Amino acid sequence: MSDDIESQLRAALRPVAPSEEFSQRLAASVASRHLTARKGRRSGARLHPLAWWFSASLAASLILAVGVHQHLEQQRLQQSGLEARREVLEALRVTSQKLNLAYEAVKSQSTSLTDEGNSV
Amino acid sequence: MRKCISIVFWLLTPTLALAAPNPRLAIPSFSALAQKATESVTITLDPGLLGLAAKFLDSNDPQEAATKDVLKGLQGIYVRSYTFDKDASYQQSDIDAVRSQLAAPGWNRLVETRSRKTHADVDIYIMVDHDQAIGLALIASEPRQFTIVNIVGAIDLDKLHKLEGQFGVPKLDIDPAKAAPAAPK
Repeated sequence: MSDDIESQLRAALRPVAPSEEFSQRLAASVASRHLTARKGRRSGARLHPLAWWFSASLAASLILAVGVHQHLEQQRLQQSGLEARREVLEALRVTSQKLNLAYEAVKSQSTSLTDEGNSV
Repeated sequence: MRKCISIVFWLLTPTLALAAPNPRLAIPSFSALAQKATESVTITLDPGLLGLAAKFLDSNDPQEAATKDVLKGLQGIYVRSYTFDKDASYQQSDIDAVRSQLAAPGWNRLVETRSRKTHADVDIYIMVDHDQAIGLALIASEPRQFTIVNIVGAIDLDKLHKLEGQFGVPKLDIDPAKAAPAAPK
């Protein structure tokens, strides 16, 4: 009885070679998975340069914007500086003109006093 | 005790600030006169603008180098000048608002000229603090023009002396040693 069961088990668990159809399906499945993986990698590689270009153009735009801003700021500062310089020179011109007026008045007074002194 | 000292300090601080001489004049806007004037000069240079102007003065040019040197101690230059096409276009009261400020302690009249020939009056005031000129005010009134100049800051007369003969600055023969002490009003 026990020999019978044992022989039945052995028969059931004996190594069996896969059928031709199973081998073909397995090979096809492995090939299709490999292809999908390669396709995925390829599409990732296509996205990468786009992202790089996007980052590069963004950085370039930022650098350009900062450069333009600095240039405009520099120009504005230069204009203000030249205007301030002009105003300083104008202020000195007006001041000196009035100092000259005072000087002439003082000089003419002292001259008239000297003339009076000489005539006495 | 410490609290008492700090209270006294805080109470005295505004008083001390008020007591400090202020060489900056409150110049009116003169907007009505500016409209009537044929020519007007309005210059307001605060410390920031003076510093900026100094940067744009050429150190290699003797005249500009001397100007740059004068600007170093200054905190402000304020000029108002109006020219009219006919006599008596402005009232004396317009100037009096400024002139009255020069009666404040600290201001000393350095020069007062009255010309009967040209009807030009020039008053030059100087504010001296610790033997150092810290402010200058000039009021010039002529029949068709009046000018107010207020220079604020440490005015180095030695440096100002170097400007003589330049910008039309006359040779005033200013002796800095004599000019520095406060002149009687």
